[in-house]
Amino acid sequence: MRGKRGKFIAPVLIFAGVLFLLPLIVTFINSFMTEAEIALNYTSKLNVFDLMDGIAENFMRIRLIPQRVSADQYKEVLVDQPSFLILLMNSLKIALPVTFGSLLVSLSAAYGFTVWNWKHKEAVFTVYVVVMLMPLQAVLVPNYIIADLLQIKDSYLAIILPGIFSPFGVFLLRQSMKALPPAYFEAARMDGASDFAVFRHIVVPQMKSSIAALWMLNFIEYWNLVEQAVIFIDDYAKEPLSVYLSRLAEGRMGLVFAASCVYMFLPLWFLTLGQRDLEKGIELSGVK
Amino acid sequence: MKRTRLPVGILFLLPSLMGFCLFYIWPFCISLGYAFVDKPTGGSFVGLRNFIELFRNQSYLRGLFNTVQFIAISVPLNMGLSLGVAMLIHKMEKHRELYSLVFLVPLVIPSGSMVSFWRSLFAYDGALNGLLHLIGIGKIKWLDSNLALLVMVLIFIWKNLGYNMVLYLAGLSNIPREYYEAAWVDGAKPRQVLAHVTLPNLASTSVLVLIMSIINSFKVFKEIYLITGSYPHESIYTLQHFMNNMFASLNYPKLTTATIILVVIVALFTQVMLRLERKASE
Repeated sequence: MRGKRGKFIAPVLIFAGVLFLLPLIVTFINSFMTEAEIALNYTSKLNVFDLMDGIAENFMRIRLIPQRVSADQYKEVLVDQPSFLILLMNSLKIALPVTFGSLLVSLSAAYGFTVWNWKHKEAVFTVYVVVMLMPLQAVLVPNYIIADLLQIKDSYLAIILPGIFSPFGVFLLRQSMKALPPAYFEAARMDGASDFAVFRHIVVPQMKSSIAALWMLNFIEYWNLVEQAVIFIDDYAKEPLSVYLSRLAEGRMGLVFAASCVYMFLPLWFLTLGQRDLEKGIELSGVK
Repeated sequence: MKRTRLPVGILFLLPSLMGFCLFYIWPFCISLGYAFVDKPTGGSFVGLRNFIELFRNQSYLRGLFNTVQFIAISVPLNMGLSLGVAMLIHKMEKHRELYSLVFLVPLVIPSGSMVSFWRSLFAYDGALNGLLHLIGIGKIKWLDSNLALLVMVLIFIWKNLGYNMVLYLAGLSNIPREYYEAAWVDGAKPRQVLAHVTLPNLASTSVLVLIMSIINSFKVFKEIYLITGSYPHESIYTLQHFMNNMFASLNYPKLTTATIILVVIVALFTQVMLRLERKASE
């Protein structure tokens, strides 16, 4: 019985997998087309040949085979247009401080929640969870108020600082810390190790996967910044890539696919490097 | 022993607690004031009028309804599908890692990178309608009719199936093999095994999946916003669109009022979830 059903598993998975990867495959292949070919494919306007053939209605075409393989899009995006690289740097300037800052703060807080025996600790943690569950729009006014007070409204700090203290990291790492056997902490402390030593030499090394996972999840999140950028950043030159790309699609469609590929390269590369850690980190967040 | 440990715990928690209060809790408390005045600057106290007006505001009600509707459709659907995929991958003997990589990839792809693809697929003159045209089906307004909700659900599932799948894969591998063997020996049918062995043992995983799905369901706004802008078809005009537009038009009283209602809903929901989790893990 099981063997018979087992035969269908691989084909079903492969079919679903190809469907899942299709948007990526299309984007990747299209990034090697010339700008002219893209312009021709992604329009529904009728051209002379259509009229001669008596075609009355036209659609955009998503093609999987380029007429001519070319790296022109990449050359244009990476070499000829300095603005793209500036915006790429903008995205990094936001993502890197948030990811590393959040890691330090959350790791320490998760440990604090674990070792501190205060009876209202769970109530405090619940407040973290409630804020974590809020959509970004709900914290816009608070974010704006504090940015105004600290006079950082026009700087990336208005996005970076709330990111560093975002409750998600504390939640994720605290959940994973629950998976560490308490005997670990106790034994080390019996030996006279200080709380900081336990944290530094026992907890942190044991949490490597979760740390990597949190770093990656935060990177994905802030590399993919949309809402805050729309709200806080007025200057085109300071925008992160996400917003720029959706505008580029309306202007120079022919460059969009290469730009998109460059944009997704970093997170994809991190995923292939850290797949195991990411999976383990996500798994551990579910451990009781 | 405990007495010496107590302050150290606070020390570790302090940086986070201070930043969390400074950037979230305190400004939120300040913002509460907006909910009870009529104008953001120099407004006068109006009591509960903002709340009453909000519940008469058509676009707010539409956004709230759509958000709830979207969560009610997409979250269970995504949970079911991700469990399905996890069970299939769990049964595979080879290449498990490769399969889970494939389903994780959409999670890391920045929304901006996919905007052009989704647009050219679902546009009125887009590739999908082109395909349908070939088999003689007329143009469908994917993004400009109630079908937009379907597109939104589709994109959500594409992006978030992987995360839940990882959680379910872990949950599945934590179920002892003996449970299954006992069930097979007793002559249980596959459906019975699913209902009496697999699902009950995944209960506490499912609570976490539910929490993460709801967080992620708010994030699909990024894609929708990039694809369709501030005022999409009314079937996908969510609470976030409403709040975003209120912010853009500097209408802080309305935005704050909407936020307070949302906080109350989420706080109640969190209580229910945490209770559920405790129950599920017993």
